[in-house]
Amino acid sequence: MRLRRIFSASIAAVVMMTSTAFADFPERTVENVFPWSAGTAMSVSQIIAKALGEELGVSVPVVSTPGAAGTKAFITSMNRPADGYTIIDGYVAPLVLQPVLGNADWSFKDFKPLHAAVSNAFSIGVKKGETRWSTFEELMEYGKANPGKLRYSSGSRNNLPHMVIAKVLQSYGVVAQNIPYKTDGDARKDLKAGVLDFSFINVGAYLQDKDGFEILLVLSELPGAKASYDGAPSITDLDIELGLSGLAPMGWTWWLVHKDTPDDVADVLRAAMKTAMAREDVKEQISRVGFVPLEWDHTQYEEIVGPVAGQLGAMGNALKWEEDELKKLK
Amino acid sequence: MLVDSILAGYALFMTPAAIGLTLLGVLFGLVVGALPGLGPLMGIILLLPVAIGLPPVAAMGFLIAIFVGGSCGGSISAILLRIPGTPLAAATLFDGYPMAQKGRASDAIGIAISASALGGLFGGGVLILLAPALAQFASNFAPPEYAALAVTGLIAIAVISEGSLLKGLIAGCFGLLLATIGTDEFSTGYRFTFDTHHMLNGFHIVAVVVGLFAISEMAHQTMGNDLLKKPKIDIARPGFGSVLLTLKHWKNLLRSSTIGAFFGALPGAGGVISSFTSYAVAKAAAGPDEKYGEGEEGGVVATESANNATVGGTLVPSLALGIPGDASSAMLIGALLILGYFPGPTLFEQQPEIVGGIFLVYLTSNVFLLIAGILATPLFVYVLRVPKSYLIPIVLLLCTIGTFALQASVFDLLVMFGFGLVGILLRAASYPLSPIVIGIILGPLLENNLRRSLLISQDGYWIFVERPVSLILIIVNLLLIAGSIWFAVRKKSKAADKVPVSD
Repeated sequence: MRLRRIFSASIAAVVMMTSTAFADFPERTVENVFPWSAGTAMSVSQIIAKALGEELGVSVPVVSTPGAAGTKAFITSMNRPADGYTIIDGYVAPLVLQPVLGNADWSFKDFKPLHAAVSNAFSIGVKKGETRWSTFEELMEYGKANPGKLRYSSGSRNNLPHMVIAKVLQSYGVVAQNIPYKTDGDARKDLKAGVLDFSFINVGAYLQDKDGFEILLVLSELPGAKASYDGAPSITDLDIELGLSGLAPMGWTWWLVHKDTPDDVADVLRAAMKTAMAREDVKEQISRVGFVPLEWDHTQYEEIVGPVAGQLGAMGNALKWEEDELKKLK
Repeated sequence: MLVDSILAGYALFMTPAAIGLTLLGVLFGLVVGALPGLGPLMGIILLLPVAIGLPPVAAMGFLIAIFVGGSCGGSISAILLRIPGTPLAAATLFDGYPMAQKGRASDAIGIAISASALGGLFGGGVLILLAPALAQFASNFAPPEYAALAVTGLIAIAVISEGSLLKGLIAGCFGLLLATIGTDEFSTGYRFTFDTHHMLNGFHIVAVVVGLFAISEMAHQTMGNDLLKKPKIDIARPGFGSVLLTLKHWKNLLRSSTIGAFFGALPGAGGVISSFTSYAVAKAAAGPDEKYGEGEEGGVVATESANNATVGGTLVPSLALGIPGDASSAMLIGALLILGYFPGPTLFEQQPEIVGGIFLVYLTSNVFLLIAGILATPLFVYVLRVPKSYLIPIVLLLCTIGTFALQASVFDLLVMFGFGLVGILLRAASYPLSPIVIGIILGPLLENNLRRSLLISQDGYWIFVERPVSLILIIVNLLLIAGSIWFAVRKKSKAADKVPVSD
């Protein structure tokens, strides 16, 4: 009897201590695991991390952990304790696209969402002064007449821009060679030098050098994205139906934690991130870089991310199609 | 136009915040550079959140000063401890450490700081006078040219491995092999990752460098019987005479700074290649009485002026085209964007005052580096008076903290200690370690640009001779290889002639 009382008291003490620990969360640095190399996108995560840290009262360093199209960061995070001290910077490529391509064994439902962070629209652009074509349709006509001759870049290979561009090209029956680059900037440099025929251009790159590029097609149906590219034609202006809407053809990140993270810990992070993302200074700093701050909270995660996963899954054969067609030409 | 932009930037720069933070940035940069593991990139990442809340020129001054100080700081530990604080300083230990062993540690650090500052100022001159033109020139460098340039860098192994060419080449090939580990950029397949996610991006270059150099050196130090002895070393205050010592090598300084600025202006090339190439060129051009590798001042001048001139060069494509030259300048571009300015041609046209302000903070950073660095040298050299029984554990602790901070990864620590063991074995067998670093850095540059060129080409390998710059580089490479073989054969036949004939 006495033993049982001691046991019960011990359990109660552990529960109380644990509850106190959660009440005190966070007691130390919370880390954001960022899936790409250092660069502009990392700076954007640092803006949010700084604001989140101010709300939580601890610092939130952003740790660049690149590798395997972002999946290394996810696996690294999932191997850490589910205690809320590790946040996954959940970019769409490792979160949704890599599972669609069979390179990762998780689904977006395997994570606990905190809050949507940012999105980044992109477009297909050519160098200024290009004389071979002046519209996207003319580019496609050229591509159809010269199978396998066009050279383009989506930055790295098998990323979201690659998937979306391959889908567009597939819809037109155009076979072009994708050239992977270590950084997007290198691809833009070679586009301007005439080494590439077209390339993906994100909003930030366009804003930096509007006179350097001609935007032929904005890869988003959202009016805001079209406006960012000064009203260039978008996928809604095409005669073909791509089956892409909302966030599906765009880059975006949703901050997440391990699914076993206790709810009260996740709630502390959610509340802090919601406040951080609502701050005008944060929104302004993010917008300056050409990214769009997102206001969706964790309750809208499935509603927003679900259709993206569905649409990307449905167009999953575009990359395979491109590869097979190029092999046939060789 | 140029004068106008600098005058407009002058008002933004002449504030206590901008000047104070530039000085603070240089000091912080020197420290993060000197600590093994950390480096200018980590310094910029750590302080970017602070910088984005500051006025634009003060913020950029702070971050650029960290870049400048951090690119020089690695030489301090290379000279004093035979540990390059950053991969940028891996070539500085060839002559810097022997100089320190000969009792000239203060001179070596003084020369490293002076050469860094003067090289940096040269890079600044290039940045100010030639930014748009050089950016235009750099845009002629496409994948075929980068592939040819990577071969040029690999030939440097032959020059720096004199005396043990075969072992140098084996070490270089080992570096190239290590560079293949990770996710293939082209097929997205995994290579030598052994089913562990830790290997998906290969080994972190900093963990490898710290392991190879720092751990093996500390192990080597423990083998001596002077662990408890307090070294009695007279610390000579270097003073600004170091500038004169450096200027004595003005041809070398000018040549290495030009090489540094050139490599900096090429996105993706970087400071490590520039410092090794400058060292190789300086060594090849040296007179018969100059003994590179044994404590020659020119060796320190070459590597340190080159890697700091690279910083100025790196800012050329970053500011003029908005294309980062390396990871550190990518973070600088990110900071500039957050502050509301778009690097690229429009920045020069629409906000010349910001461009002028950045020019001024960059130049001032190098002046501060010279003054603060020289004044602080006695503090750095004091390290040599610490008994090894204290020094070795402190260095190992700093290596561990610095390497862990890279990605908060215990695996990186295992890599560091693993390569420490490799370093110990290679040193015991008299293999040079630097070619491994060259191999790791140049491997991806060569492989990826070769494959990229072939994907771009409509005529297979002809792309390398159809493009004039690529063709010139290939001819230069062939001449360098022929020259290396000729020198090696001539040296061997001379050595054979000297062997006394026995009766």
